Amino acid sequence: MLMVVKLIKIWLMFTSRAAQSALLTTWAGVLFIIGKIVRFLLFFVFLFVVLSTVKNLAGYNREQVIFFFLVFTLIDALVQFFFRGVYHFRPLIVSGDYDLDLMKPLPSFFRPIFGYSDILDFVTLIPLWFYFLWFVFTNHLFAGIGDLILFFLLLGNSIVLGFAFHLFVCGVCVLTTEIDHLIWIYRDLTSMARFPTDIYYKFIQYILTFTIPVVILFTVPAKALLGLLSWQWVVLAFLISGLFLWGSFKFWHYALSRYSSASS
Amino acid sequence: MKKYLQLAKITFEEYLVYRLNFYLWRFRSFIVFLTLLFFWLAIYGDRTEFLGYQKAQMITYVIGIAFLRTIVLGSRSADLGPQIRSGELTKLLLKPIKTIHFWFTRDVVDKGLNLFFTIIEILAIVWLLKLSFYLPYHLTTYFSFAVLSLMAIFLYFFLSFTLSVVAFWTEEIWATRWLFGVIFLEFLAGAFFPLDVLPSWLTKIIYLTPFPYLVFFPMKIWLEQLNSGEIIMAIFICLIWLIFFWWLAVFLWRKGAKNYGAYGG
Repeated sequence: MLMVVKLIKIWLMFTSRAAQSALLTTWAGVLFIIGKIVRFLLFFVFLFVVLSTVKNLAGYNREQVIFFFLVFTLIDALVQFFFRGVYHFRPLIVSGDYDLDLMKPLPSFFRPIFGYSDILDFVTLIPLWFYFLWFVFTNHLFAGIGDLILFFLLLGNSIVLGFAFHLFVCGVCVLTTEIDHLIWIYRDLTSMARFPTDIYYKFIQYILTFTIPVVILFTVPAKALLGLLSWQWVVLAFLISGLFLWGSFKFWHYALSRYSSASS
Repeated sequence: MKKYLQLAKITFEEYLVYRLNFYLWRFRSFIVFLTLLFFWLAIYGDRTEFLGYQKAQMITYVIGIAFLRTIVLGSRSADLGPQIRSGELTKLLLKPIKTIHFWFTRDVVDKGLNLFFTIIEILAIVWLLKLSFYLPYHLTTYFSFAVLSLMAIFLYFFLSFTLSVVAFWTEEIWATRWLFGVIFLEFLAGAFFPLDVLPSWLTKIIYLTPFPYLVFFPMKIWLEQLNSGEIIMAIFICLIWLIFFWWLAVFLWRKGAKNYGAYGG
């Protein structure tokens, strides 16, 4: 417990430094925030227009499809906020500077994963949460208090799964120095969950559940809040996350054992 | 000309050295293509027509996006910005080679190589899913499509070059490129969905920007949804944007090159 409190304090320090760095050039921050808002609004308008005509998509009405999109945006922003550090990991490996982190009394994955939480994602998260809650309550998409609790539990599960994937990618980076494309593949695959994943062919749904579990990350929490989730799916979601987390730690330790500190 | 052919050969060999990067990039492009395709297939379901597009036309639009993303939006000139900031540009300036020609040559190789794989991927998906594809009836359509696509290639090159050259004055090259060269570009070019499904007041605003001439209008021509007057107008407006960005890119390059401090070089 004491260790967790210590790590949270260190994370807050890391985040504070990262925020100072991100806000050092206000102009860049403004451009990034404008971009995030424009992307959100254009997708929103597009979905609204299309769903106003088509009325339903894979059995979901317009409000439900927009709800899936909002849950996707929320979880995506949360995962990006926490784990943005992986985008900064490659230079540490290539230069050999990662040695300096390994000497510190911290878990080896801490700096690569949590070292650069993105304040700009946090800034966009606040209005997004307000809008999400307003949208859920005004459209009566909230099925009950039990489902709300389950939603938050599965949201936590998604963050754990996001962590597992980012840890795996860092492991690949240690072994091959390749990270950018893998992260972008993750981003591209997860973007498939902007829409309810039920719209895809069955074999694609299987891929999105068991390979890179996009369904568990985004669709399952959304369905939980709508009260559309069976207990089997809840068990499967936690099981898959647990397996991914275990596998990622195993792989990370294997990758670390192969770390040669080549450039230092 | 010989030195640019040599440059093209070197650029091609670079891709063969960093094969994993290239394969991963192709995989990413393929996912984007599949996501759009499956989304629209789900929207159509058993419908034959939606928002003014026949099912075959929408599938063709999505395939067209994959094709035009490769030949128009595929580019290496984005690397110029970081080279200016790092001072690496100096190496290029010392060589008897024109910078704009250098980057355009690299762009052409990038487009050519990616086009080869894009065509294979598209053909595989069309064959596997037995997709119906819209082929224009008139020969003039193919000609107009080719003309506008060619202009779009140059328009995007000068637009991208302009965004890179901004690096002479600011360190915020990634933020600028991300906003104008990724978010605005992909949405406003129609690289996600046809722009005319949006409310008409919004499309009118978007038509005032250079972006729709990169993907949306070439595809509208291919789908034969524009009459001759509208095609000529689209080509004419694209030409104006092309001349403007050509002038802007050259002007900013000359200004910037005088300003260049070769930091870190």
